Amino acid sequence: MPQSKTEKISMSTSIKPRRKKINWLPYQFLLPTVILLLLINLYPFITGLIYSIREGSLIQLEDFVGLDNYIKLLQMPEFWNALQFSFLFGLFGVAGSYLIGLILAVLLNKDVWGKGFFRVALLVPWIIPSVVSIVGWRWMIGDQHGLVNQLIGFLGMDPVNFLGTENGAIFSVILIKIWRSFPFMMVTILASLQTINTDLYEAAKIDGAGRWLSFRYITLPSIKMISIICCILMTIWCFNDFDTIWLLTQGGPVNATENLIILAYKYTFTKSDVGIGSAVSIISLIILMILATIMLKFQEKD
Amino acid sequence: MNTHKRLKKTVLFLSLAIVSILVNLPIITMIINSLKSNTEILTSSSLLPKQLTFENYQHLHTKTMFWTQMGNSFIVTFFGTLLSIVIAAFAGYAISRFRSKVLTGFSRILLLLQMFPIILALIPLFIMFRNLGLINTHFTVILLYTTLHLPFSIWMYKGYFDAIPTELEDAASIDGCTGLQTFFRIILPISSPGIAAVAIFSFLFSWNEYLIANVFLRDEQLMTIPVGIQLFMQQYGTDWGSLTAAATLTMVPVFVFFLFVQKYFIAGSAAGAVKG
Repeated sequence: MPQSKTEKISMSTSIKPRRKKINWLPYQFLLPTVILLLLINLYPFITGLIYSIREGSLIQLEDFVGLDNYIKLLQMPEFWNALQFSFLFGLFGVAGSYLIGLILAVLLNKDVWGKGFFRVALLVPWIIPSVVSIVGWRWMIGDQHGLVNQLIGFLGMDPVNFLGTENGAIFSVILIKIWRSFPFMMVTILASLQTINTDLYEAAKIDGAGRWLSFRYITLPSIKMISIICCILMTIWCFNDFDTIWLLTQGGPVNATENLIILAYKYTFTKSDVGIGSAVSIISLIILMILATIMLKFQEKD
Repeated sequence: MNTHKRLKKTVLFLSLAIVSILVNLPIITMIINSLKSNTEILTSSSLLPKQLTFENYQHLHTKTMFWTQMGNSFIVTFFGTLLSIVIAAFAGYAISRFRSKVLTGFSRILLLLQMFPIILALIPLFIMFRNLGLINTHFTVILLYTTLHLPFSIWMYKGYFDAIPTELEDAASIDGCTGLQTFFRIILPISSPGIAAVAIFSFLFSWNEYLIANVFLRDEQLMTIPVGIQLFMQQYGTDWGSLTAAATLTMVPVFVFFLFVQKYFIAGSAAGAVKG
């Protein structure tokens, strides 16, 4: 009897402190990541915030000026133009890549010869370097022998100067962004389509539903969640896009294709105005955070 | 009925074939142009070359820094990918297997970090690395590539680790394995598809990246290929021959790598997106 009592006591004392002990293993595992994120993300974020309320160049930072940089920005037509273009670019980029991706995913989900080949061939625009795509496209839409202008000439119209005119440049940049983005949509939607139980379609067929009704009431609801996530991700990627625009137009002609990222880059690295450049980056971050919050809200609903 | 079905299949096949060609037309014309002489590119309007020539590739080989820059790209990509897959594996395992408020908060932060505009990090980092004398070093670029790709890699790993049943670890711990041993001896060996998927995305990210390399590598000797190619567009008044030849060769490693690991890539991109 007393023996078992002491055993109980010793057991309970040996268990208690063990429960209180924190398992440090996950934190050890996270250590390298945390160090890198502090150095490459948190430090620049805080410093960037501070830069955005200072004056100065890349060589020498000057005095604190409070919110002057932000006020200056809000009074600049170039800023509003960039903001507007960012949204235009995002809207058309997302809508275009989603529609094309959806159509191709639906086609690839059917029983077709050479499915594997097509899936790879249609992925090419997404996996090649941005520089390579721009080299290819620059020639395609070039004014002399570009294939697009040859086709336009063949149809009896005057050649279009795609990169020299504002509307032409806006159109080209968006088109190429869609071209670079649709494969991502295609692959993710296709993966989601493949999880739909085909019995559902059979049942709908027996109930007399046509192809459109099946698509509307079976396919679309099944891919709704993945579509929302993809579209929000793509909005963020379009918003953050630098390569497509910079390599094609450098934001020109006359700021026509300048988004917030290009604006921040130009002010920082070309005009060496670190204050304004940082302020633009911070504003971009705030807009992106709002978009990210919306994304998390949608995910939680699921 | 049967012929109707067959006709439908043919139409579907043909339309997909046409779409595939149209989509790849910019790449196809680029490759064809790289096999024309510079004068033919600028004067002829026919798509196919009248005279096949490899002079652009010869020029690239003998008169430019192309191979040096290709080497730089390989160095940066190799180390960026290696560091990323190692560091992310630890972190992905931590947030997949352990539960605490701190860890949940941390994985939230990782999601948000995917939205972090790179330009915001670049401005202070440029000033910091310049003061440290680390501009124009591959080290800086590797460090940035590794870190910026971490959130995505960690989430992909988390997806793979989540799918591995915890019974394996329970069995290992009964057999006396410590947490660290379990991770190295049990979990990592069976996660090779996950590692492959993360590696592919890291590889593509580092190989294709332009903005960071453009800011940090200003010396022609040290530039990676995307930055080097861009010089053909400016410095030499758009030398189309060298430009298209260089761009064509830059795609080769991507295709080779991609064909080897295609399966993982498609599965991985789907998993990554679903998990957010």
